Amino acid sequence: MFGYLGKRALHSVVSVLGLLVLVFFLTRLTGDPSYLFLPLDATPQAREAFSRLHGFDQPLYVQFFAYLGDLLHLDFGESLRQNRSAMEVALEAFPQTLKLAVLAMTFAFALALVVGSLAAARPGSPFDRFASLVSLAGASAPDFWVAIVGILVFAVSLDLLPTSGTGSAAHWIMPVAVLMLRPFGLLVQVVRGTMIGALSSPYVKTARAKGVGRRKIIFSHALRNSLLPVVTVAGDLATSLVNGAVVVETVFGWPGIGKLMIDAIIQRDFAVVQSTVLVTATAIFLLNIAIDILYAVLDPRIRYQTS
Amino acid sequence: MTRRTVLSVACAMLMASAALPAAAQTGGDAITVVLPEQPGNLEPCGSIMTNVGQILNQNVTEPLTVIDPENGTPRPKLATSWERVDDTTWRFRLRDGVKFHDGADFDAEAAAFSIRRMTSGAFTCNNIAKFGSAKLTVTPVDKSTLEIRTETAEPILPALLSVAMMVSPKTPADRAVNDPVGTGPYELETFTPQTVVLEPFDGYWGETPDIAKATYVWRAESSLRAAMVQTGEAQLTPAIAIQDATDPETDFSYLNSETTAIRIDTGKAPLDDVRVRKALNLAIDWQGMAELFGDDVLRASQMVVPGINGHNASVEPWTYDPDRAAKLLEEARADGVPVGTEIKLIGRNGIYPNGNEALEAMMTMWEAVGFNIDLTMLDVADWTRYLQKPFPQERGPTLLQIMHDNNKGDAAFTIPIFYHSSGQYATFEDPKLDARIDEALDLTDEARTKAFQEILAEVHDGIAVDIPMFHMIGYTRVGPGLDWRPNLTTNSEIPLAEIRLKK
Repeated sequence: MFGYLGKRALHSVVSVLGLLVLVFFLTRLTGDPSYLFLPLDATPQAREAFSRLHGFDQPLYVQFFAYLGDLLHLDFGESLRQNRSAMEVALEAFPQTLKLAVLAMTFAFALALVVGSLAAARPGSPFDRFASLVSLAGASAPDFWVAIVGILVFAVSLDLLPTSGTGSAAHWIMPVAVLMLRPFGLLVQVVRGTMIGALSSPYVKTARAKGVGRRKIIFSHALRNSLLPVVTVAGDLATSLVNGAVVVETVFGWPGIGKLMIDAIIQRDFAVVQSTVLVTATAIFLLNIAIDILYAVLDPRIRYQTS
Repeated sequence: MTRRTVLSVACAMLMASAALPAAAQTGGDAITVVLPEQPGNLEPCGSIMTNVGQILNQNVTEPLTVIDPENGTPRPKLATSWERVDDTTWRFRLRDGVKFHDGADFDAEAAAFSIRRMTSGAFTCNNIAKFGSAKLTVTPVDKSTLEIRTETAEPILPALLSVAMMVSPKTPADRAVNDPVGTGPYELETFTPQTVVLEPFDGYWGETPDIAKATYVWRAESSLRAAMVQTGEAQLTPAIAIQDATDPETDFSYLNSETTAIRIDTGKAPLDDVRVRKALNLAIDWQGMAELFGDDVLRASQMVVPGINGHNASVEPWTYDPDRAAKLLEEARADGVPVGTEIKLIGRNGIYPNGNEALEAMMTMWEAVGFNIDLTMLDVADWTRYLQKPFPQERGPTLLQIMHDNNKGDAAFTIPIFYHSSGQYATFEDPKLDARIDEALDLTDEARTKAFQEILAEVHDGIAVDIPMFHMIGYTRVGPGLDWRPNLTTNSEIPLAEIRLKK
């Protein structure tokens, strides 16, 4: 098991380094940042001075080796826009997104397990049809639209929640609710599908014949055996939450890494792009390793194979 | 967890959520201002950028002069008066008894430090862009007198200095900062990824303002910002979209100093023919176009807005006359001008609301009179390549969607860059016009105004090098408890000291 995890960690480090090299060259292909950092009416001399000051006048390979040299000293560069360390900016924003994503994913996962299982228990029932409708709507509704409608209803009309921002428990409700909609919708579908399969399997029939209660059959026997595909999908959904968070963070003014990354790309703030990619890629690799461990916990066959 | 527990938790959460927004609201003499964009930094030398300037200018940092939004002339601020000693020398008398927030005295040495810091090139300073290639030599004459020399004549130096923010001499001279220390009525309390908080400066030289605390937050969505003022979470937000400005009691329109236009690349056939350029102006149904820009928008005849020195109110905008446009095109065709050549119409994504729709409508109208137009929308970085010299090779004839901002009081910030052969955006080369522009830039007072007005009339009526569209309108939502109206300068500053509380 530990050998396997060690190999995964090594692969991850190599992949992150490869990604950083790729991001370095891709960002430089987008052109001269002086066109976005200086005012439109800046003189050509001002543009040249800007490029010289930040080393953008150097050949690409010189810039690249300078970047590698800085990386060895854990110097990730300075944000052109924010006048401070790019890694500091990224690390300040990342926990904000992480907290949002963890909450959204936890609620989505827990709710989907309950709703999906209950829907699977009686396929075709009114509850099943209602759950399908809600989950499909949740999975398909655009985040942006849901967020704006949520603000109009809960903040402007009903005056129950703040429109946006951070600070109190109430500020979390709408961003988390909007962010969890898609994973919740998709997971209900997956849980329902796998549970229907599990509930018609021989071991459930045996349990029923032995007189095991309905609730115990659903939540103890069938659900545990249905979790593996659900965890796989949940893992993919969790990694994609960084992208999903961009919309939520933009609408609700949430100071997270998703919006920071998009802004940095648009503004050609190269050091911040590199730092946000490094932070999120590391988090995604760690998450994947955690999912692998969870697989092993859930399924003894995997545990035996890897050991 | 029992069902009762679940219900209790749910009820408690609901009650807490209902109570919290009210607690989070500001009130009384503390206000929240919600801006469209997060300020990346708080460096006073970059305060011509809207998101920095709206927080710092006139609040934390002050310049020597400010531009009067009514007539575009420079007014005293930290300088009380000034005189032109000779063509290249100006002398400024500075206000006495002014202190920086850190206790340092504001005097000629401090003013010299701020201007030298701005011009040193030791770090990126956006505000210096307004000075073009002007080189300044700054000399304190005595404690209250500052002399500034320029290499060439600079008749509008007092107006230019309105972008030079005075910072404490203790500010690092060789790097940008995020903790500005100025002389303004407010000092910076905190700057986090969520907020900027300003609080009054006890030692301010002027009147004590009404607003005792200002918290700045930022939300990109216009409808959300409008909702925040509506719910009382914020008291003021600039730049809301037309569709969100629905309440005449709180939503105020103002001429925001920006002018939309299409720049014609006069260097390429068929756009090098003046008849073709006039036909482009005549082919547009301007009344129909105005529907895309809002009822309060002002039809433009030139790139300089009213209120700025040099604006020529007697120049009439082009009217819609498709028959005359078609006739001019035919005349040009008869003389061998290749009017059927495909013209590239280049737009910029998100340049202003309905910007894409405006270009699609214009393309249809141009094609209706006989033009052959191909529309391309670009992101800002690619679009900038077409805006500024050196223009891309093999670009062909192009029409470029532009928006120009001039709230600095003088047409000198517009005319040279668009119409002088050496101008960064200029595609037109005419030595006679260059000479007139050079001459006008050296003039002062009424002679300067008249010369600019004549140039703008010639640009419009004679050579028709561009297609002015509209002087743009901004909308600001101001909460019912505040007495304040936006104006021409609101895009670059929101002076808190001018905001009064309604009794």
